[in-house]
Amino acid sequence: MPASLLGPYSRTILAAAVLLITLGFALSGARGEVHNGLLPFFEWLETTWFGVAGKTWGAVFATVQSVHLLGLALLGGAVLAAEGRLLNVILTDTPRELVCSRCNRVFDIAMITLVATGVFMACGVAVKIYYLPVYWYKMLGLAAGALFHYFVRNPVLAQDLENVNPRLLKAMAVASIMVWFTVAATGRWIGFSG
Amino acid sequence: MNDASRQDATEKARRKDEQLAAILSCGSIAVFFLWYWTGQIQSVIELLRLAYG
Repeated sequence: MPASLLGPYSRTILAAAVLLITLGFALSGARGEVHNGLLPFFEWLETTWFGVAGKTWGAVFATVQSVHLLGLALLGGAVLAAEGRLLNVILTDTPRELVCSRCNRVFDIAMITLVATGVFMACGVAVKIYYLPVYWYKMLGLAAGALFHYFVRNPVLAQDLENVNPRLLKAMAVASIMVWFTVAATGRWIGFSG
Repeated sequence: MNDASRQDATEKARRKDEQLAAILSCGSIAVFFLWYWTGQIQSVIELLRLAYG
């Protein structure tokens, strides 16, 4: 089992390794090579049924996009409610654990909606987004946000929160808002590009 | 060390590990956020300078 091989700090070591690999990838020539290698895949995406439907029927694309935006609103609401509670700004008369667990369920539904509709939308404009740097920043933010939410934030919140440093809880709330704000803003930026 | 205290020590180590990973992740996200948005704001300032400067 990898966790036992890495010793008692397996999660910290894995987080540091992911960070170092991402930095190494971003700063080396590998990024350009992978980017060039992905072009045929994005061209193929436009030829799929989703791609053809998205390009041919504007109404279909607009309808799916509206569901995507509703998913984004749902995710934003779940993040702001949970993080607002952790920051002691809203819902202060409700236990933190209850607010966070309920918001997590909404967050999961929002993520499924966003990914499903996002893949459809990406197929319709695949080559356009391939050349947009902001699309890749959004994907980076989305990957970072999802990893942070499911593998860092949720395990800490599963602990007895009385044993967790309050500053750490607040730092996690701020980091979560930062990363999802970036994902939402870059997502809308894609919509206004090209 | 008996089973109960060994289990307690393992549990404490696990909690500490999760919290250390959270500190590392929060710091990284903050650096990424500041780097990205500082760059965007600088681009906007540069554009405004070109347009109106």
